[in-house]
Amino acid sequence: MTTVLEVDGIQTRLAGQQLHDGVGFKIAKGEIVALIGGSGTGKTVLLRECIGLLRPQAGRIRLLGEDVWALSPDDLNALRRRFGVLFQEGALFSSLTVAENVEAPLREHTGLAEALRDEVVDLKIRLAGLPPEAAFKRPAELSGGMKKRAALARALALEPEMLFLDEPTSGLDPISARAFDNLLRTLCDSLGLTALLTTHDLDTLWGLVDRVVVLHDGKVIADGPVHEVARVDHDWIRSYFSAHMKEKGDGNGIRG
Amino acid sequence: MTDAGPFVLERTATGWLLRLLGDWRMVNLAALDHALAGHAWPEDGHLSLDGSALTGLDSAGLMLIHNRLKSAGIAWPAIELAGFDNERLALIRLVADRLDAPAPAVVVPPGFVAALGHRVSRAAAEVPGLLTLLGQISEGVVDLVRRPSGFRMREFFVQLQAVGLGALPIVAMMTFLIGVVFAYLLGIQIEKYGANIFIVDGVSLAIARELSPMLVAILVAGRSGAAFTAQIGAMKVTEEIDAIATLGLSPVKVLVLPRLLAIVVAMPLLAFFGDLVGVLGAATVAASQLDITFNTFFIRMRDVLPFSTVTFGLSKTPAFAVAIAFIACRNGFAVSRDARSVGERTTATVVTSLMAVILINAFYAIVHPEL
Repeated sequence: MTTVLEVDGIQTRLAGQQLHDGVGFKIAKGEIVALIGGSGTGKTVLLRECIGLLRPQAGRIRLLGEDVWALSPDDLNALRRRFGVLFQEGALFSSLTVAENVEAPLREHTGLAEALRDEVVDLKIRLAGLPPEAAFKRPAELSGGMKKRAALARALALEPEMLFLDEPTSGLDPISARAFDNLLRTLCDSLGLTALLTTHDLDTLWGLVDRVVVLHDGKVIADGPVHEVARVDHDWIRSYFSAHMKEKGDGNGIRG
Repeated sequence: MTDAGPFVLERTATGWLLRLLGDWRMVNLAALDHALAGHAWPEDGHLSLDGSALTGLDSAGLMLIHNRLKSAGIAWPAIELAGFDNERLALIRLVADRLDAPAPAVVVPPGFVAALGHRVSRAAAEVPGLLTLLGQISEGVVDLVRRPSGFRMREFFVQLQAVGLGALPIVAMMTFLIGVVFAYLLGIQIEKYGANIFIVDGVSLAIARELSPMLVAILVAGRSGAAFTAQIGAMKVTEEIDAIATLGLSPVKVLVLPRLLAIVVAMPLLAFFGDLVGVLGAATVAASQLDITFNTFFIRMRDVLPFSTVTFGLSKTPAFAVAIAFIACRNGFAVSRDARSVGERTTATVVTSLMAVILINAFYAIVHPEL
């Protein structure tokens, strides 16, 4: 398996605080990996460092064979066309319709004629599991789940090799969240995508991801399949996963 | 069959075989589309698709072959697949499955009459909101008279400072320069008749009656009206307005009344300040170009500028102020929850309130024509 993303020895200092102190992990092609950790442990910050939005103080990030922070601005932009990003709130352009949002990267980065572009836009909207009518709506008219799907369609526009997702299921009801997880699984398997996501959603961990990387106190304290990570003897991990057991009713039978 | 195109169509014993060659990915999409466009497809439909010679395939490339074959009357389920590995088969299943869902109803762009009707009905839909705000403001004012202690004094003074004090420098600059320009132009004409002293009559009347109130109104509409809409609109976007209402407070009393009163108080003061500075600008030109000393200028002004003209000019400004504040606040509340709407509504505030100011001014001029 080829390595798609390699994070090595990342040091991040934000507002005088040491956020990451030697964070490192690897993601192989086709894997879906979740980054978990308490609030403020720098999951989103790490994601932003991987996609070239925030420079770490030290360390190296190799993404799709390129050293992200050693690239020239032009090369970085070229690299950015090879991965898609789903921001937490979707970050759809509110003045454009869904179709125009998906079209934006195609218009900027491909020389496709308009008719062909429209076909690609229709395909991406369908791939993201949106009804084709949604194309003509503006982001303000969409529900939370549909907004995420529209943002996913835009992230998929340029046939990326890798997806970064910041809390893809936050703000969704459990049913929509599971549907979104299933969609991600289908897309990653069928389109051969690799994905790195941050999440607080335990159901996503158990249901969707291949591997979990746990950030705590600026370091990676566990890295492996979820059933292995859940057994790691560490205070934070234990309380994190025991909360899940209770929620599921396995512990004290709250839900029977 | 000798060209190195992206596909080869062959006749076989059982039907047709379409062999895809090379790289069928997004990067080559335009070229692939071009190659497919000029091709004739078999009529009888039985087609096998062979992907063993593909070097690359992604969803866009697959969509292209799917859509082109479909429009040629070859439905996807009738196509046999050969030479694809499991990964590509998964991709094919997904894309074909999604693309075979019914197409969206095409939105026909409305004709002229429909578009006109749409605009009119949208304009009409504004009326209830306008009336509601008018009612709420009236209720708030009545309430204020009955129970003055409920007034948000702090917010009022914050707004008064922003609308009034903050506007002084730009009001001074604008009215001074308009006074200069107006006196200069008038002076050139008057000088021909040797009637230099009449510059005082023309300039002081024009500034006190029309120029200063109008300039101040335009300035306040652009400066404070836009600010009101943007402030209230941004609060609407972040649900702060809803939070105010949930706390049992009235957004109109908290946000609108202090702004309305601040602008009503500030505008006559600004206009009077504009009168002074504008006349000063004119007097400067008169002194330097027309040999009329400051002393002569102001003695003449005392004789020809009746106090009633000054008060008439100032009396217009509260009406301007009410119109600007009302339009600005209404547009602020009408912002919907997206970034674009704030910009649209702010523009609408400035344009509408300028129109309102000019209409009100014309109304005053007709009702009170004598100087």
